[in-house]
Amino acid sequence: MGGHFLVLLRLALRNLFATKLNIIIGAIILVGTMLVVVGGALLDSMDTSMSKSIIGSVAGHIQVYSGKSKGELALYGEMGGEPDLSAITDFSKVKAELETLPNVKTVVPMGISGALVTSGNTIDVALERMRALIRQLQRDGPSAQLQAQILSQKEYLRQILRVLQSDTKKRELIVTEKAFEAETVAALQRASSEAFWREFNRDPLNGLEFLENRIAPQASDADLIYLRYVGTDVDDFQKSFDRMKIVDGRPIPPGRRGFLFAKFFYENQLKLKAAQRLDKIKKRYVELGKKIADNPEPKQWIKENQAQTKEIILQLDQIKTAQAVERLQRALGSSETDLEALLRHLFDINDGNFNQRYQIFYEQIAPLLELYRIRVGDVLTIKAFTRTGYVESVNVPVYGTFQFKGMEDASLAGNLNLMDLISFRDLYGYLTSEKIEEIKKLKQAAGARSIDRANAEEELFGTGRTVVAEATPGLIDESQPVTSEARALRREELIRRVYSKQEMDSGVALSGAVILEDPKKLKQTIQQIQELSDKQHLDLKPVSWQTAAGIIGQFVQLAKYALYVAVFIIFIVALVIINNAMMMAAMERVHEIGTMRAIGAQRTFVLGLVLTEIVVLGLTFGAAGAVLGTGIVKLLGVVGIPAPNDWFYFFFSGPKLHPWLTAGNLIAALVIVLGISSISTLYPAFVATRVAPVRAMQTEE
Amino acid sequence: MQPIVSLHSVVKEYRLGNVSVPALRGVSLEVYPRDFLSIAGPSGSGKTTLLNLIGCVDTATSGVVQVEGQDTMNLSDRELTNLRLNTLGFIFQSFNLVSVLSVFQNVEFPLLLQRRLRWRERRDRVFAMLEQVGLASHADHRPNELSGGQRQRVAIARALVTDPRIVLADEPTANLDSVTGNNIIDLMKALNEKSGTTFIFSTHDAKVMSHANAVIRLADGKIVDKSSPVDAGLKQVAEVR
Repeated sequence: MGGHFLVLLRLALRNLFATKLNIIIGAIILVGTMLVVVGGALLDSMDTSMSKSIIGSVAGHIQVYSGKSKGELALYGEMGGEPDLSAITDFSKVKAELETLPNVKTVVPMGISGALVTSGNTIDVALERMRALIRQLQRDGPSAQLQAQILSQKEYLRQILRVLQSDTKKRELIVTEKAFEAETVAALQRASSEAFWREFNRDPLNGLEFLENRIAPQASDADLIYLRYVGTDVDDFQKSFDRMKIVDGRPIPPGRRGFLFAKFFYENQLKLKAAQRLDKIKKRYVELGKKIADNPEPKQWIKENQAQTKEIILQLDQIKTAQAVERLQRALGSSETDLEALLRHLFDINDGNFNQRYQIFYEQIAPLLELYRIRVGDVLTIKAFTRTGYVESVNVPVYGTFQFKGMEDASLAGNLNLMDLISFRDLYGYLTSEKIEEIKKLKQAAGARSIDRANAEEELFGTGRTVVAEATPGLIDESQPVTSEARALRREELIRRVYSKQEMDSGVALSGAVILEDPKKLKQTIQQIQELSDKQHLDLKPVSWQTAAGIIGQFVQLAKYALYVAVFIIFIVALVIINNAMMMAAMERVHEIGTMRAIGAQRTFVLGLVLTEIVVLGLTFGAAGAVLGTGIVKLLGVVGIPAPNDWFYFFFSGPKLHPWLTAGNLIAALVIVLGISSISTLYPAFVATRVAPVRAMQTEE
Repeated sequence: MQPIVSLHSVVKEYRLGNVSVPALRGVSLEVYPRDFLSIAGPSGSGKTTLLNLIGCVDTATSGVVQVEGQDTMNLSDRELTNLRLNTLGFIFQSFNLVSVLSVFQNVEFPLLLQRRLRWRERRDRVFAMLEQVGLASHADHRPNELSGGQRQRVAIARALVTDPRIVLADEPTANLDSVTGNNIIDLMKALNEKSGTTFIFSTHDAKVMSHANAVIRLADGKIVDKSSPVDAGLKQVAEVR
């Protein structure tokens, strides 16, 4: 073969650039290889980045959940809400069993759910503060400072009422008065009257209740916020997901109830809207060098900021209003005295004054405002429907905000907030031991008995009728209503309670995140968990992070398939073109091939000749394409591909994807290209072997 | 003496659509070693067909073609190819050099196909052959850098480098001017005398024919005359007159 191979190689190399056809085939191979290298590297990088995002944010390497579940685990939610999962009733057992496996580092309990939260609107916040002040007054007695604070707060409430009234008047101009509930108008009128506030001084709590019930709902800035949270052993979570960082506030202390907002969610849902819009203009336009004037979106935001000054005005009491007016007059060089007009002036933003106005807002106005509707340190009341359908609410203190390193702007990871497991169980409808105890006491006190359904009729209406008879109304002392203080006490008690690790672990969880020692053994470990679960009757369903991520996890997979299909189509086209071109090349060389046959070359030699040529062609241009592709990937690796939107932050595991190349990408590209070009040459090569030696005798031209 | 090539009642027909066109109609012929044989005749008389059959690049419709005592009808494509490689050498009317290979590589080509010699032996053999055709100094040239005569010399070197028993040349001088053509025939003749290789060449040039020690005249696919070159030459001269 030595001699043959030498001459084949020599011919192939010599023929490489000899014809236009070869250059066309070469160009196709070059572009094809480049596409496969770049596309493959991009998708692999994205896959790895996304897996980092998913594994590093909530999923861990493997998720286990109850095999009884009707739905499939979807950590990022699915169409129409959360999947229907059965609970793992005794998580501690699962944890203990799984942690016996050598590759399992730890198992973190989890439950993901969502609830609608009415963010305290401006009045709620103001009333809450008033209530706190009054409680302080009742507890500690009057002091000059406290009374001044109460007075200021009262003025602030009246300011809000004035804004609401003027709002109502404006609306009356548009809508006929009949359309308004008379009651609403009356309530507003009453709350604005001097008489109401005199009464308020005498019995502040009663006054507050009226304001809370009748006035607060009228403020339209209250939003229903959908809060998605993962209930977990926060301590374990922080240790296991080391990409997590506290941004504001501090971590939830071990064993405490508490809530941590995802920073992204906090910024995008809870921040003052005017500030959000300014941030967005800065981030998406000014910082990227885009002009506000050229884009309808920032112009719309500016208009909204100018129209919706109420959310700012409502927050300011008299003193702060005066301060704001004074500061704005100075900063804007205006003599205008109306705050609304000044704010409109402030928000009259264009490319020239953006930075100045942004600075004025954050340095002069923002310190007077609550920038976030829920502050770190607030107690958040979350109401949710339990599994059994009744509404349960818990109070959890907000300890701070967190984010995952590299995913600061990823909306998918950034909308999942963190809550302690105990509160999660309360909301889920799972009875903690203390609740069971509480209910037992209540039942005793009320004289309730448990009656099964079969006997219910007899018990209620039968001759014995013990149920009705033994109810002792006297035990509920109506002269001692459950005061708000008592409620608050219980609330504070729960908040302060420290739960033991054992309490955290034993009980309900919806899933467990399994962190592995060696992530490469993922499939193996899933298998082991399944076997263990079968053996110990744990009834668990272990799934990889990719499966656990639901639709999101399949996204890159889908993108990969799309690329494969595209590559496939490109290569079918390439196949046809290469086939035709090689066919033409073979035809062009009939005379030469005939000559070779005549002077003693076998058919196999001719076959080798054509195939060697295409392989050399493929290797040469494929290598060039691979080099070019590598260059592009390296360049992109340095420059980075900016994420087009929040979603992609997650897939890119950061604001930019810096793709990298693996040897696998290059090898795959070369193998595909060589395979395709060889296949497309088989028929032309066969045709070439059929060239008769007598063709050498026929003269050319 | 055994003939090196013998043909007996060879018929060759080509099919042109539904019509079969006879190219040779019963040719019998014997060629002996060391012959320098010219096949003469007008265009379409069947010269090339006859050479193709002797050269084992084509097969007869009927009759027997024996080369070195082997009946070519009974040989497979592979065996025929080996026969061409080892026993026959070809010189073509339009030279048929591989354009992307150098002069040296063109001459080396059949040796590489034979796979018998090592590099050093190959090189020596190729240079010796180029020396004989006077092109040793052009070893690194590409065919398109050479004149027609030089190209045909390369082709001769390629045909002879494997030391074949028979060299077939189809109108070797047709694409050359008469002076160059004469030189080529002289070279072939010299090699024929020196190495004893049998040469069979077709031509319609009387001057070229005159170098041959035997001439076969074909007309309409039949041998019309076998004669010494002198007679043939005279005949042709007479015809022209």
